[in-house]
Amino acid sequence: MERDQPSGLAELAAAVTRARVPGLEDLYFERRAESLWHLAAGRVVAREASLHEGAAARRDGLLLSGDGLDRTVLAGLLGIASRSLPSFSVPHFPEPPSLGDALSEPPAGWTGVRWRWSWAAALTGRKAVTITRPQLAEVTLADGQRALFCWPPDAGTLPESPVGRTVDDARPGKARVLLAPAAAAVLLHELVGHPLEGDLLLHGASPWSGRIGECIMQLPLSVTDDPTRFDLPGGFSSDDEGTAAAPRPLLAEGVLAGALADRRTAERLGVEPGNARRAGVHSPPRPRISNLLATANCALPEPPRTDAAIEVLALASGTLEPASGLLLLRVRTAFSLRRGTRRRVLAPFTLVGTVASVTGGLLAAAQPSDRGAEPGWCAKDGEVVPTGGLAPWLLIEGLEVR
Amino acid sequence: MRASDDLLMAAIHSASEELSGKGVRFEVFARLGESVRLSCGASGTLERRSSREFGVGCRVSGGGRAGFGAASGGGARAGRAAARAALGVMLPAGDPIPPRSVLGANGTSLSHDFPDGEKLAAILGDVVARVSGGRHGVTPVQARVLAGTSAAALATGEGFHALATAGGAVMELLVAPPEGPWRHFHFAAQAVLDLDPAAIAERVLETALLATRGRQPERQLADVLLAPPVAAPIVEALVQYLTAASDKNREVRVSGAWHLTDDRLGPEGLLPIPWDGEGLPARRIELIRREKVGERLATWELAHRLGGRPGGAVRPSYRHPPAAGPANLVVHPDPSTTQSNLLGRLANGFYLAVPAGTVRVDAAEGRFGVHAAAVALQDGKPAAAHPLVELRGSFRRLLAGLLAVGADSESFSLGCAVTTPSLLVRRLEIA
Repeated sequence: MERDQPSGLAELAAAVTRARVPGLEDLYFERRAESLWHLAAGRVVAREASLHEGAAARRDGLLLSGDGLDRTVLAGLLGIASRSLPSFSVPHFPEPPSLGDALSEPPAGWTGVRWRWSWAAALTGRKAVTITRPQLAEVTLADGQRALFCWPPDAGTLPESPVGRTVDDARPGKARVLLAPAAAAVLLHELVGHPLEGDLLLHGASPWSGRIGECIMQLPLSVTDDPTRFDLPGGFSSDDEGTAAAPRPLLAEGVLAGALADRRTAERLGVEPGNARRAGVHSPPRPRISNLLATANCALPEPPRTDAAIEVLALASGTLEPASGLLLLRVRTAFSLRRGTRRRVLAPFTLVGTVASVTGGLLAAAQPSDRGAEPGWCAKDGEVVPTGGLAPWLLIEGLEVR
Repeated sequence: MRASDDLLMAAIHSASEELSGKGVRFEVFARLGESVRLSCGASGTLERRSSREFGVGCRVSGGGRAGFGAASGGGARAGRAAARAALGVMLPAGDPIPPRSVLGANGTSLSHDFPDGEKLAAILGDVVARVSGGRHGVTPVQARVLAGTSAAALATGEGFHALATAGGAVMELLVAPPEGPWRHFHFAAQAVLDLDPAAIAERVLETALLATRGRQPERQLADVLLAPPVAAPIVEALVQYLTAASDKNREVRVSGAWHLTDDRLGPEGLLPIPWDGEGLPARRIELIRREKVGERLATWELAHRLGGRPGGAVRPSYRHPPAAGPANLVVHPDPSTTQSNLLGRLANGFYLAVPAGTVRVDAAEGRFGVHAAAVALQDGKPAAAHPLVELRGSFRRLLAGLLAVGADSESFSLGCAVTTPSLLVRRLEIA
């Protein structure tokens, strides 16, 4: 946690406390700078820049938000006179980095690179906490797919493109599937991360509601949400309610071990807060995933290709339908395997399974746990936050190709 | 003049002042959006949001270079920041800003009142009560209503100046049927009072109970009847595809049943506006008609470079420069075709009632896919329910295979406004 005395935020927090705004829960400020390079054939053809700032107040169950970050805006949100607030300063927008310095030669298949910097602060009671996050790099590929990194973008972690190779349709039906680390990270994001978000647990919108402490899989997989990893896109120094970031174990060797919570859900769940994230000033904080790190005891030294019929390198998206427990994984890049060797590129298809079939069908994990471009931007009720993931290779049976 | 106009003018003025004398042509766009959103979860707790978004976007061009910058914040300060940002990112490029001679407005904006939070809460409560009551076993998981107004101003360094206002309301419901997947419903209207709680509740209950249990169908090619909520996002995806497609991919066989326009001028559709994203007068753009793909949506620069007519620019936010894209899509209905006519013509196939998730598009292959709740029909009668099927197909097949359209038009607020009736399409893939 970082206190920002020279900025005047502490004095501002004290003044807000003195103003005794009825029902005030907290104040949140954010500044965000973005730079977008449009690319064609590895060359920059256009640039855009944008600067955003705004503030939000939670009062009596109401989220009031506005663009702009000065005393007039804050006073309007708080319903007080602006003269009752002291002057304060926030960091200047930084100059965008040079794309050329970050990337000597952008790959020809990239159509855009976006850089994002953000700074935020949460004022709760007399406390002012500034929030730092890693700078982000979003890469847009020719097919419209987006990949998210910490700045600078890393072409080496994107899955290989099968463009130009023979494409077959995957055979419908049950298949034993090997998920590469990036795809496995998406699976665990949907299977473990989202369903352990406190609001979903409390609303019965999770298959894991009321099951903390239960063993849900035989594979000794452990998953931790870790916002302190600033090398991954979901990192932050404090959450968006001002609670200091800390790793949160969610699954310990197959046993449900914890939940992601903001202040509102923490007490009811009997866990600590610290996982509140906002999509921006106009969205309220909610329990969200930051970076999910998965490890497995007894992981195999190599991916077990001989045991799988399909190797999935990248997913376009994943969805868990909470009521039916249906998990849908939309496969973007995959190969058919024969005797451990890649045979054909497969056209995009959907893998479908139930929570029970997937957790029961996890057969093996293998090294390396590697950083892939996925999971990336995570949407919940249309509110989008950056997330990261690290996962081992996973061998699963029980998923159905459709 | 209203307070919003003062703010817009201050931003336009400060940006113009910053850019004047810099040897560039410029265009300044400012927008103020105010909205109220209420949501009610399973616990019955009402969450309220009130937001005010204001920002400015500037395009600049000169000396064979062009740039775009945007900024949010207080009026004049945001204008200056956006102007400086645009000047700071100029790169060698053609001039994207239309000449003064082509700019203008067509029609006037509708006036919109700022939504009344109490009325919104009453409508939301009414819908939730209607959906919750009864012995049908359907439970609302989450209900949301969002209503807002926006005011936008556009000015160029050559003296063009225009104002427009817009408004609308959206209601979304996530409901849990007694069994099977949760269902998401979306309703949109030009004003809050146009949302009819009784009609919304009736539609939600009827559709939520339609396909609660059933097996997965075999993968097959089948005729499909797409209800308006399923058709709308597919129509939007089709237009996005056609906007970016090569000329060759636009020269395809098209069914005579298609009549699709971007009705920017209104009065059809949800969101008429007097000028496009670059300040060209709004007009009706015929996208598909008389068995042909018609005009391509284009910005002025694109039309100038590739041929065609400009006027197809949209600007969903001040954060982005204008781009070619749909604004107010209307699939023209056939008033003589009732839904029972369409079901009769379907005979054997699938009726897709409500989507589950978004439409996925593979632009390179010209294909789309969407999950939905479906009922299989045989000899015109319901034969099986399927809680979740995947509809897949190519846009080429969608264009050629439209057999008929219904008369049951509904409007949706998606990436753009879409108004469409049910669509009966031959031989798409069901999985």
